[in-house]
Amino acid sequence: MDNPSSAQEPHLRSENSVSHDCPYPIYAMAVSSAASHHNRRRRNIAVGSFVEDPGNRVDIFSFDEETTSLKPIPTLSFEHPYPPTKLMFQPPNPRSAAELLASSGDYLRIWEVRDSSIEPLSTLNNSKTSEFCAPLTSFDWNDLEPRRIGTSSIDTTCTIWDIEKGAVETQLIAHDKEVYDIAWGEAGVFASVSADGSVRIFDLRDKEHSTIIYESPQPDTPLLRLAWNKQDLRYMATILMDSNKVVILDIRSPTMPVAELEKHQASVNAIAWAPQSSRHICSAGDDGQALIWELPTVAGPNGIDPMSMYLAGTEVNQLQWSAALPDWIAIAFSNKLQMLRV
Amino acid sequence: MAAPPSSRELQHMLQRAVQTVEWTYSLFWQLCPQQRILVWGDGYYNGAIKTRKTVQPMEVSAEEASLQRSQQLRELYDALSSGDTNQQQQQARRPSASLSPEDLTESEWFYLMCVSFSFAPGVGLPGRAYAKRQHVWLTGANEVDSKLFTRAILAKSARIQTVVCIPLLDGVVELGTVERVQEDLGFVQHIKSICAEHQQPHQTPKPALSEHSTSSPATASGPRFHSSTVPVPAPYTTIHTSQDNSDQIEEEEEEEEEDDEVDADADAVADSDSDGETVPQSSAPSSGVQNPNSMPQIKTTEPSQLVQLDMSEDIRLGSPEDGSNNWDSDYHLLPHGPNKNQEVQQNRPDLCSSQSTPRWPRIQDPGINHSLEPAPTTSGVPLSENEFAQEDSHFSQTVSTILHHQSSRCSSSSMTGNVTQSIHSAFSKWPATTCDSLAHGNLRGSSSQWTLKYILFTVPFLHASKSGDETSPKSRDAAAISDSASRLRKGTPQEELSANHVLAERRRREKLNERFIILRSLVPFVTKMDKASILGDTIEYVKQLRKKIQELEARFRQMEPDGHPKKNAKEQRSSSNNTAARVQVGQGLDRRKMRIVEDSPTGGGKPKAAVVSPAEGVLQVEVSIIESDALVELQCPHREGLLLDVMQMLRELRVEITAVQSSLCNGFFVAELRAKVKEYANGRRATIMEVKRAINQIIPQYLR
Repeated sequence: MDNPSSAQEPHLRSENSVSHDCPYPIYAMAVSSAASHHNRRRRNIAVGSFVEDPGNRVDIFSFDEETTSLKPIPTLSFEHPYPPTKLMFQPPNPRSAAELLASSGDYLRIWEVRDSSIEPLSTLNNSKTSEFCAPLTSFDWNDLEPRRIGTSSIDTTCTIWDIEKGAVETQLIAHDKEVYDIAWGEAGVFASVSADGSVRIFDLRDKEHSTIIYESPQPDTPLLRLAWNKQDLRYMATILMDSNKVVILDIRSPTMPVAELEKHQASVNAIAWAPQSSRHICSAGDDGQALIWELPTVAGPNGIDPMSMYLAGTEVNQLQWSAALPDWIAIAFSNKLQMLRV
Repeated sequence: MAAPPSSRELQHMLQRAVQTVEWTYSLFWQLCPQQRILVWGDGYYNGAIKTRKTVQPMEVSAEEASLQRSQQLRELYDALSSGDTNQQQQQARRPSASLSPEDLTESEWFYLMCVSFSFAPGVGLPGRAYAKRQHVWLTGANEVDSKLFTRAILAKSARIQTVVCIPLLDGVVELGTVERVQEDLGFVQHIKSICAEHQQPHQTPKPALSEHSTSSPATASGPRFHSSTVPVPAPYTTIHTSQDNSDQIEEEEEEEEEDDEVDADADAVADSDSDGETVPQSSAPSSGVQNPNSMPQIKTTEPSQLVQLDMSEDIRLGSPEDGSNNWDSDYHLLPHGPNKNQEVQQNRPDLCSSQSTPRWPRIQDPGINHSLEPAPTTSGVPLSENEFAQEDSHFSQTVSTILHHQSSRCSSSSMTGNVTQSIHSAFSKWPATTCDSLAHGNLRGSSSQWTLKYILFTVPFLHASKSGDETSPKSRDAAAISDSASRLRKGTPQEELSANHVLAERRRREKLNERFIILRSLVPFVTKMDKASILGDTIEYVKQLRKKIQELEARFRQMEPDGHPKKNAKEQRSSSNNTAARVQVGQGLDRRKMRIVEDSPTGGGKPKAAVVSPAEGVLQVEVSIIESDALVELQCPHREGLLLDVMQMLRELRVEITAVQSSLCNGFFVAELRAKVKEYANGRRATIMEVKRAINQIIPQYLR
């Protein structure tokens, strides 16, 4: 995958997309919600390497919407122990001076993005008994309560952090098996997916209960990723292990998916709801495609067709569709970061 | 309409049910397994009668009379639908006591028209009750929109106000009355108990049902009925979204209040929607009922078209296969009625003219398109509240918080709600013609979701092993995985290494499962089907065998002194060899013996037990499924074609036989079948219980 197929070349040059080859495979990716100080149309994009030894790194790129260019910012690069499982910039927050970036892996780490450097701010360890915390598969930053970050862990728990205090707000045993992803819906409501095959919703006001709103059809088929539709909180989407399906759920109608999007030719790796529309979702998979779906009111007899598609040519592993850049979808495949105009 | 005895039972049940509560009618919707739809099973009409016609002397008990009436109604329907348009011919063919359309009251007409309806699970009132396994209570049936209640227009003319659907094992009992009755749990319980009474002594209406399924009653009526996991995406409704996981009691308490909501909904809907809709449609049944003279009009409509009309209405409401009309159905409160009406009216004319056009609302229809958009603040909040009233209170609170916040959030930002594709888009239009969706099997490709899986499954354990927690098995495991992975990784592209790794792991697992199955087949008395139990029982079995060998050897040694002391050592060895060999070779026989040994209180592997003939053996069906490997063991009286039937039935369950070992002895059939369990289209596999049940349905239960 080091030499992209020639058919793709026109894409790389045209102004509807731009890509950058990193010297290593990449997985985690995040789009900054704050515009750069110098240019309102410039955003930072963080990319985490995917190398199978302790020495991994996070690089920051500057993406300019106007000129459609991606420039690495070498001064903002930093080392990361093992590949970060997720990267996320803090939600828009007018109060904070410097922007924060969080990464998950062995710990939840908070970094401060300064003009010419990135400094570790805190390393949050949720284990009280040992100096090591159970590794984290993912996390989500609460955009209504930016002090809150929820993490999901292989030890079946979700931990809610108050990052300003640097303290655990609460820790919940969320599932029967490893928790693979977490997503906030409300200031105090989050959902998680797990190897036990369920999607559960938690309300911090009543930590004793959780509600299973979906279970994978074959018992114990792990659910790997979860995306809550921020434009219409009734809907969320999840993907299953080894499945080409994107399952769309309605929180009011537990157990019964409202739609299943099945036009990927291979397993789905990533999903993201459109930041500006409640009816659109993008998915990317092993078939090398990124598909944008418009959820119809009524499906035709052959299921739901995507609205549009992009062919990356190789397994697309990551997908971001940020409210900060609603016209752009960022994808990652092999060692490429690519920005695609919607 | 000579009713078979079992359907007679059914009719009795319906009669009792409706008479004890003094409602207008009761129906039984039964699941027609072939098409997976609920169709008219039977009914009992208990309402007002206009013209009575009878050939019998006047002294008929009221009960008999109305039983007769139900039958006559059914006959009339049959006559109408058989296509008789000629009145004379009709009269000639049918007995003089038969009813003609003009003899009917409106409610009788409603009852009669019900025969023509069918509902897919999840669709319509009966369908919803069936799919959710919970009763549905609709008050104001004559006022609601036909989206909510498919027969609303008929109900309107018949003034049927309250309709209740109660799911039974294999169908749905529906009761209706011209009175307005608020939901009453006691009532539902009462009906249920009547049904239960009738189900217990006789084998329910089920046998009658299997008449419907011609080819394979076993698969059809056996395993499927009870499984609530059938992928029937029920459209959610504003009347009842009954949840499996919600607290039953709480839910029922709250249904009262929800009912009011339904009424409110219904009114609102009636205002916006059904007015426009009734006009064109009511020309068919309702006006016909009110004015007997217009009956010919109906009769000239080919009956097949009558049915077609109903069908297409169902289709418009959504069919179970797509599960997507959901987007639509809960939005009927939104003010997009006019567009809807337009479409309905558009569709109307060709409803009657063309017979087979599927009536999917076009996706591009701008009128319905926006229904996924966030609900306006005003209707959003109350909607959410009534939607979840019956839910677990905690969750409903959560949901309403979410949605409340949602609406405030949405109103604050002015949303266009659209992804407009710019001309510069990197995305190209989806070519509608290409790409059929994949079969699931293909996805298990070696490199499927490699990176994602590595991030989720492996990376965390890299940390774990780094953390020095080396003793925990998990981290050691992970370390091993990462070791092998990184070894493979050197210089190879991602896919290959993942392919190797994942493939090897899979092969290992498959081999393991395969061997567990073999082990399970060797051990006669495995109690449970999980791996731990198989191992446990195997240990137990080996111990028993050892003990047996010791006993036999001991006995042999006792005999030795009397006979041939010289050969002692040699004999002993060969005897133990023999036992071992026999255990391996004749395992089928041994197994039966062992079972009997187990059962008999004296136990102990006495020779007496060994001579029990298989014919006296018990009927036995053992099924074990570990992932995709299955083993079916069967012992039962023989009948002709039994093995083939079993295999065919298994095939229907997508259990593909790979090896069969069977024998027949004294009319007793013993078989052992190895198989691979394939997935259904929905990715589900047949379960042990399903297979067992299906087998039990086709094997003879007693020796003839």
